[in-house]
This record gives sequence, C-alpha cells and structure tokens, in this order.
Amino acid sequence: MNQPVYRAAVFGATSAIASEFLRALCEDHEAELLLFGRDESRLEATAADLRARGATCTVRTADFLDFEHDWKAELDGPTWDLFLVAHGSLPDQDRSLGEGAAIAREIGVNFTSQAVIAAACAEILDRQGHGRLAVIGSVAGDRGRASNFLYGSAKAGIAAFMAGLQHRFAERQAIHVSLLKPGMTDTPMTADLPKGPLFSPASKVGRLGWKAVRSGKPTAYLPGWWAGVMTVVRSLPSSVLHKTKL
Amino acid sequence: MITRRFTSWGRLEAARAAAVEPAWLDEIELGPAPRLAYGLGRSYGDSCLLDGGTMIDTRHLDRLVRFDAKTGLLSAEAGITLDAILRFCVPSGWFLPTTPGTREVTLGGAIANDVHGKNHHRVGCFGNHVPRLELMRSDGSRTITSSGEELHAATIGGLGLTGMITRAEVQLVPIRSASLDVELIRFENLDEFAELSTESGDGWEHTVAWIDCLARAEHVGRGIFIRGNWAESGDLQPHAEGGPTVPLDFPGFALNPLSIRLFNQTYHNRFPGKSKRLVQHYSPFFHPLDSVHEWNRIYGKRGFYQYQSVVPAAAGIGPVRAMLEAIAAARQGSFLAVLKSFGGVASPGMLSFPFAGLTLALDFPNRGRRTLDLFSQLDRIVREAGGRLYPAKDARMSPADFAAGYPRLEEFRRHVDPGFTSDFWKRMNP
Repeated sequence: MNQPVYRAAVFGATSAIASEFLRALCEDHEAELLLFGRDESRLEATAADLRARGATCTVRTADFLDFEHDWKAELDGPTWDLFLVAHGSLPDQDRSLGEGAAIAREIGVNFTSQAVIAAACAEILDRQGHGRLAVIGSVAGDRGRASNFLYGSAKAGIAAFMAGLQHRFAERQAIHVSLLKPGMTDTPMTADLPKGPLFSPASKVGRLGWKAVRSGKPTAYLPGWWAGVMTVVRSLPSSVLHKTKL
Repeated sequence: MITRRFTSWGRLEAARAAAVEPAWLDEIELGPAPRLAYGLGRSYGDSCLLDGGTMIDTRHLDRLVRFDAKTGLLSAEAGITLDAILRFCVPSGWFLPTTPGTREVTLGGAIANDVHGKNHHRVGCFGNHVPRLELMRSDGSRTITSSGEELHAATIGGLGLTGMITRAEVQLVPIRSASLDVELIRFENLDEFAELSTESGDGWEHTVAWIDCLARAEHVGRGIFIRGNWAESGDLQPHAEGGPTVPLDFPGFALNPLSIRLFNQTYHNRFPGKSKRLVQHYSPFFHPLDSVHEWNRIYGKRGFYQYQSVVPAAAGIGPVRAMLEAIAAARQGSFLAVLKSFGGVASPGMLSFPFAGLTLALDFPNRGRRTLDLFSQLDRIVREAGGRLYPAKDARMSPADFAAGYPRLEEFRRHVDPGFTSDFWKRMNP
C-alpha cells in the first residue's frame, strides 16, 4: 500500500451521490480532498465522515452561481488526479416555468455553473497533461419529457458540453473525461417524489460512479440498466411518447 | 412532506404516516407530534410503526462522525446501518462489540431495541457498548447522555419513546481475521443442549443453537449447537454486497408442516457424525439470512410472527421444553427456532429484554386465530416461569404481561417524550 496520495477537488461535495462516490474512492486510495459546497455545516459533516474513512479534507464554501469566480486560481497549486462536478438542484418545474428568473437559476445551477467549472478544470488537465474530470449529468438529459424538461434540458446541455470535451481530449490518453448519468436516485434531493422500484440507493449509484470514473468510462448510466431503459425512451416515436406521462 | 407506507419485518400490518426525512444533524425538523423515528423497519411487529402520525425516516443520517483508530471508539449518525459500519471497520481490523442476526439494522435501531447477539453471555447487549448518545427531544433540544445516567438507561432499549436518537458512540472490538473457527454439534434433546451450553460458556465467545421445532415425542428439543471464536489469523475482507432477492410473496400453501418438517430434517442431518469443525466468514456465521434479501416474503402476504421469550436461569430447561412441546403439538413452528443462554452481564436499559436465562425465538407464519391461541399457551408458560417477551419482536403481547415482565416500566415512563409514541406503546397503554 505504498501508492501516492490521490488528490481530488469536488464541487457539490455534500450531494448524496458525491458523498457516496467519495466513500468508495476512500476505500481504494489514501485521498486528499478539497470539498466545495454552499453550506459550511453540511460540508463539515461530509468532511468528518470522509476523515473517519482516512481522507484528508479541506472544505470551502462556494457560490456556484458566481460565474465570474476564478476557479483556476482557486485550484492553483497541486497536481490533481480528479475533478468531480456534482452540484445540482431538482426544480419544482411547474412553479419555475412561470418565472423567467427561476428558469435562469435552474439552468444556471444545472448547466451553466457546471460548464464554467468543467471548463476551468479541463484547462488545468490540459496543462497537467493527465487526470480525470467527471460531471454528474442525468438520464433526464436524454430526451425532453413533460415531467421534467427544465432539469432535463440543462442536463442535455451538459451532456453535449462533456461530449465536446471528450472530443477535444480524444488524442490525450492520460486525460479522462466522464459523464455520469444517474437514473432516479433516493437522495434528499428527491425527498418529495414518491419512491418506486426504479429508484436506486445513493450508495449504489455513488459507488458505481466511482468505478466508472476509475476505469475511465466516457459515459456511464448509473446503474447500468438505465442505458437500456433510456434507449427505449429515446426511440419511442413522439406519437407514442406523448400518450404517456413520462 | 409526503405521506407513505411504512412496514415492519413481520408484514402483519403497515402504517401510513407523514414522512420526515432529515439529511443533516443540524437541520432536523421533527415534524408534527405524535412521532416516531424509523430505521430499516426490522422490528417484527408494531414497535417501529406509528400509523397516522409522523415517522422520521433516518436513512439519510448515515455519516460517520469520528473514528479513533487507536481505541476503536466510533461515533456515527443514528441512521447508519450495521452493514455500513462493518464494511467500514472490518478492513482495518475492527468489529461490532456484538451483532444481531442481521446487519440490516440501523445504529439507532440497535440501541433503541438494545439488540443482542451470540456473545451475550460474554459481553451483554449492544447498549453495554454505547458510552454516549445524542437524543433530540420534542422541545428541539439535543442532549448528550452517558452511561450511568437515567435518560441514557431509558433510551437504550427504550423503543424510540424517549426522543430521537441522532448519533451515538459505539466501542468497536479488535479482530485479527474476518473469519471464525466454528464447531457444529448435533444434540438430541434439551439436556444435551444444557450441557453443551454450560461447557461452552468459558471457551467459546459465540454460542447459539438451532432447534428442530417440529420434532415430536422423544425428539423434542433436538438441534444443532453452534459455537465459534474469532480466528487468530486470516484476511480482513468485509462481507460481499448483493445476493438474490425473494421476488414475490410465496403462496400460503408453500410453507406447510410437511415442507417445514422436510427442511428441518435435512438441516438437522446436514453433516455426518456428531460434530463438524469449519472456518466460516462472519457473514454466514452471524448473518446467515442477509444473503437472501426480503426473505420475509416466503411467509406470504399474511405475514408472520416471531415469538421470542426469555425465562430466568433458575427456572431451568423445563419451560423451554414445555413451549417446544406445545408448539410441536400445534404443528405450527417454522424453520427459525433459536435457543441461546443469556449471560449475567446486567442489561443497560430500563426496558432491555435480556437477563440471565434461556431465550427461545421462533417464527410462525400467520395462521390467524390458531397462531394466536398457541401464543396464549406459550404466554402462560413464560409468565409462570417469571419470563418476558421481546418488544422488538412482538405484535400481540398483553399489556399485563408487558408490565409484569418489565419491573422498571414505571421508572421508564417518566422519561418518555410526550411528543413521541408508537403503535406498540399505544397498544401497551390502551
């Protein structure tokens, strides 16, 4: 066990999926983690859990909607093994759609801020010449559906953004860019949704996410069976889809 | 807040309750009274349910708070599962001080029911190893209680009635291997069991017996004695995840006296000769049923009861024999009949179940009146022997038997939080 310390920066570290991802990472590596989030007490609780698991953690509060923020300066210094962009929010779509500012805020959290941070991280990886970048998207980005197209369109945006980064780094074998697409996950973010059999526990989703990133998968559905479900959803003719409540 | 269905392990009845799902210790909102904290719903009857009230689902409160790798003292949020604790601590050579027959329970649930394990005769209950815990009360206060304090003693085994356990410390114990040296010994009657139990008390940390509860006449009380000690060396691999899930409710006729008798006979004769030694990972040794998820569905949609009693050591083996005879005569027992000698370590909680004596636990498919009638017979035997039943397993004991079995009940009442209750507690206080 004489491997070097694994250094990762995590945005939205208090999200349930990110926390589980990091727990799994800590089982494989002695980790040094820089955790970003909005709420200090939540960050401290997350960090305490990871410290008990052997990680060294630094926490920093951050406003992801501050698009002027200089993330490169914030991350300057060490060599990074991994950037994980995990923050997001699940909007109350019906309420948000009536209000331009709410739409802008949801797209800002779920797309723009993720893109801003991913772009900064990509630049750092470019300069380092190696490392991993993973962003948490969603199956909701695979096709616009009446029930959640506000969230879904932001996630479709980040999927295209990540596909672009993958293309850009296609020749760079030491740089790995992954888009993780969880399906419905039992987390505090989905507290108000009735849970059906399609929900997976965050522990499973986070663990599978780490495995996918570790093996350098460009795109990973979490759990993997969502790939099949979404293939069906994507290939439904609109005339059929529009008769469903999906 | 959404309203949803909550179940307990016996699947006899479900509760519909407003669900509160706190995710952060510093942001807990208890929701409207009356309320009850809920872990994984592994209590068998109604002690973990509150129909029509607010249930505080603790599954998101699953973080470690601190771990001292030198002393093994672990502090964690109450919703963490014993499964997750073991996954965390086994690779670095630590184990729970004692573990119940399933690791699919939460830390909070283990404390609130003061669970016990195969090493009770050595180390007492789970709560004996919880030096401190934090309790959130209806008034919003968060109190740290320590062993020796009254509120601590009321909360351990207190069935969630003193407030919501938010986090707790548990003293882990060192292990050198994730496996145990195990010996299985077949016995033909209860006298042989009693001898084995006495003989094993000193040299074996973990002891338990499986009983063939359908055996009749001269075979009554036959079974297999299981004893184990942690292996001195080996790897520290935690248990594997996954395993099959029972996909549907078995039909009512699947479990019948014939199929159960066949199972029990096969199980009783699973090795040749009198005894067998083996090295076994802790998972099949401590948690054999966790390898099949939702195994409770084999009892069908009517659900099942578990009847777990303890009778004082002074009463001898007689009451256990009388219970087994009554069960065999009624042809109602099932696979899971477990007999164990509890030791003399004083239980920490005012309502802790164990005391020095013999505990017998059996599953019974719900056959309605017939099953309840059998339980009335068993109650009489337990009552006359000065024994008591385990609330975590109960769905039908009488308030009188509860009061008679738990002499510290009145003392306990003083610590009940007025904003908390459960279906069990309502049933005990009609």
